[in-house]
Amino acid sequence: MSHAGASGYGLPSLDDVLTQITTHAPNLASYLKTFAPREVRETILASTLGSGQDPLTVLDPQINTLGFLYILSARLHSTSMNQASNAALPDAIEAFTSKFEPQHARLAPDRVSMLGRDIARFYEAASNPRGAIGPLSNLVQRYPPNPSYLTTLHPIFLKLCVAHRHLTAALPVLSHHITAIDTTLSDLTYNDNLIYHYAGGVALAALKRWPQAEEFFEICVTAPAQVPAAIQLEAFKKLVLVQLIQYGEASSSTIPPPKYTLPALLRQMKNTPYQGFIKQYPGRVDFLRQIAAKDQDIYVQEKNWGLVSQAIDRAPVWLIKKLTATYLTLGLGDIGKEVGIDSPEEVRETILSMIDSGEINASISEDGTVTFADPVPQFSKDELDQMLVDAQQHSRLLFEIERGVNASKEYLTKAMRHKDDAGWGPDEDMFPMSMAGGHGWADDSSFM
Amino acid sequence: MTMDVDIIDEEMPQIYSSKAAGKRPRVPVDDAHPFELETYISSYSGRTYVDRLLHIMSACPLLAPQAFQLAIREAQKGRDTALYRNIFSAYDRVYADASDEIPDGPSIATIDQKWIEETNAKNQAERTKLEVELKTYSSNMIKESIRMAHRDLGSFYRSVGEQAGSLKHYTKSREFCTTSQHVLDMCLSVLELLMEQRSYSHIGTYVFKAEAALDSATSVRQTAQQQPEAPAGAAQATRERRSAERERVQSKLDVATAISYLGQSNYEKAAQAFLKVGAIKGLEEWSGKLIAPGDVAIYATLCALATFPRPLIKTLVLDNDNFGVYIEQEPYVRELLEAYMNNRFKTVLESLDRYSTRHYLDVHIASHVLSLTNLIRSKALVQYFQPFSSIRLERMSQAFGWSVDELEQQVVQLIQSGEIKARVDRQNKILKAKETDQRAALFARAIKNGQAMQAANRKLLLRMRLQQADLVVKPPKGQGMMTMSAMPMDIAMAGMHMLHPSPFMSMSGDY
Repeated sequence: MSHAGASGYGLPSLDDVLTQITTHAPNLASYLKTFAPREVRETILASTLGSGQDPLTVLDPQINTLGFLYILSARLHSTSMNQASNAALPDAIEAFTSKFEPQHARLAPDRVSMLGRDIARFYEAASNPRGAIGPLSNLVQRYPPNPSYLTTLHPIFLKLCVAHRHLTAALPVLSHHITAIDTTLSDLTYNDNLIYHYAGGVALAALKRWPQAEEFFEICVTAPAQVPAAIQLEAFKKLVLVQLIQYGEASSSTIPPPKYTLPALLRQMKNTPYQGFIKQYPGRVDFLRQIAAKDQDIYVQEKNWGLVSQAIDRAPVWLIKKLTATYLTLGLGDIGKEVGIDSPEEVRETILSMIDSGEINASISEDGTVTFADPVPQFSKDELDQMLVDAQQHSRLLFEIERGVNASKEYLTKAMRHKDDAGWGPDEDMFPMSMAGGHGWADDSSFM
Repeated sequence: MTMDVDIIDEEMPQIYSSKAAGKRPRVPVDDAHPFELETYISSYSGRTYVDRLLHIMSACPLLAPQAFQLAIREAQKGRDTALYRNIFSAYDRVYADASDEIPDGPSIATIDQKWIEETNAKNQAERTKLEVELKTYSSNMIKESIRMAHRDLGSFYRSVGEQAGSLKHYTKSREFCTTSQHVLDMCLSVLELLMEQRSYSHIGTYVFKAEAALDSATSVRQTAQQQPEAPAGAAQATRERRSAERERVQSKLDVATAISYLGQSNYEKAAQAFLKVGAIKGLEEWSGKLIAPGDVAIYATLCALATFPRPLIKTLVLDNDNFGVYIEQEPYVRELLEAYMNNRFKTVLESLDRYSTRHYLDVHIASHVLSLTNLIRSKALVQYFQPFSSIRLERMSQAFGWSVDELEQQVVQLIQSGEIKARVDRQNKILKAKETDQRAALFARAIKNGQAMQAANRKLLLRMRLQQADLVVKPPKGQGMMTMSAMPMDIAMAGMHMLHPSPFMSMSGDY
């Protein structure tokens, strides 16, 4: 296999390719894409040099990013890898992912996606799936122009982290919100978006980062769709459970799901046992357990039993919180009666933990009387300043987007057409419209 | 007119039997809950007289024997034999429940078979006569006569208790109405029927129709009278006459509307409608035949107390001269209102309890007494606490005449429903108003909303980008749009296969 591609049919050998790479030929990107018919090309790229050297040791991943990428991905992808060359691969992967030049790599988005998939597969085959997390993490973070872009690498990486319970590794990626989509950056499908946000939600929920998990699940649930995808329904189920844990109430009862949620999805959700559970929440613990136990099989099968149990465990907290709105003082026994916990000790513990976590403001006296006080919201000047800065940044961002839309071809053609239809004056609608748009944002922000 | 007076309702027996079998607690009549049957029933006449007695019999066995006798006497004045029988069976039912307290039926009165037969024969003859008349008029196509024949048949059926037949003929007569006045007459007849039947939900439709007819009736007359050039004085006189007539019908319509709102538990609107009712004489023959002026006072007051804020009660109820006349009919109503306005809530509640018998024994308001009383009680509690920043529950319970525990329960309910902004210090039994630091609350709200908005924008932005890139979930290939619309669930199931990568199932496991 070592000399497989070497000329003979008038095809360039890997040595020729390497020369092109190292001399930085002007059209290197298209050359690499087209220098030989597809099948042969891969074989050539996966071969070794005439001298028997491994091309990956010759090339510098930072200087020759594109060539390195092509050869590495071809090597990983070829099914007939021999053990000797495999041994060198982890180092090469490591070297490439940490040193590659992102701008160069973006010239070959399909190779990057391929590389991502194959890195995962390679380590899987080597029965060291966790090994892929490090390189992929580098790749995923370095490849896009900034962390707000979604790439095909995201779902691959997240799936790996979640499947092998290496959740904290995903946090640096998850901490950035995805707001940008660029299909020239990588060939995305709607599944990539759904899977990334679903898996991200799962990871965050497992780490008990409820607010973030809620947002991820919500994005998955409300992703644009003509028909609901099953993963969206699964995300919806997890979303309501996360909301129960976080707020003590959930979508479709008191927190309405966003208006743009697919109606079919809402209908399907209504037919699940989750709906009944939400309705009874938060109730007395023993009662909730009874309800949950009825459908335990379903919860277990859908892998939500853990969340359901956590929600039930949280129920007393919400009940106690409700009591603070009604009472100033209460005996531990009274609280236990209201909440459905028999032993005062357990009640005391629950309340202490609530006080510790800042969920309520209360004190327990020696005779077991709990005195509730209003939680006092405290804001430092720095916090407020930070929030103002955030808000300003946010409106700047929106303004930029607004301008982008106003300048976009689609918008302009539409606007022109409307102008013709309505027979308006030439300038009248363009500029006032953009101004009005600007106001629109300001108005929105003031009433939301 | 006489035939109108004694009418019967075939549905009545069912209504009563369900109520008699029901769990309604017996209404007490004793020193603490005075009730004078004779005085009460004397304000009514005709059909409602018997209806009300039937209601009293089923609600209060103690009064049953007396009511029984009165009902029989009144029923025999009419021609409805079914109603007559009903009275007996109703009493038997009451007797079955309370045989040890009251004498049995036959010892008070026995069925007068002879009267029944005679009346039935007379009814049959009359009916045949009216139907023949209708037929003749129909074949002669005399529109006005057909209308009158239908109207007469409607009245006849009403008087013998066949409500369905009555309604049929009344509505049929509408097709032959030539003037708005006729339509108006028809609507009023139907309204009487509906109020007797207590089918509250239909009343609104006919009130609406009647109002439309009333409008055109008055305007037609107006133009008709303006054409011959009448002197200014005469025009003035006719206008006055017209408005008086309008007011008269309007009062009836207001009563009907109000009763329909009350029947549908819309207390606030009921109160407003009752308070609009004009002078007593405007009710004409309805007063007594359908409703007593005292009833208007009671219905309006209870509904107003339950739903109006204080200033409205003062301006609309107490300072309403017209309504004052109604209040005179039931003096305790004024006491009730005054006690409420002077914050003597204990008196209010006691008085409500004292006259609960009167309310429970009323056909229209009986089923609403409980909810009205609860509403009034809640409002009283809220008002009592308003000026305080903290108060001992004990003092509050004295003002209302309850035990502390009872009061606490009520207060807690109100706090949870958000009507009282306060909290209970259960250990020291003190109710304390909530103090909010407005500034901090404002900051907290602003920050929360700001963050929520930023998050929402972020999510929407992503959504927009996804749509721009056409990354939209689509039905799996191979299944056309046809099947999709036909079987959306199947699509979802297909999607489930496609999108359930098995690692997810295992990865989402144990948290």
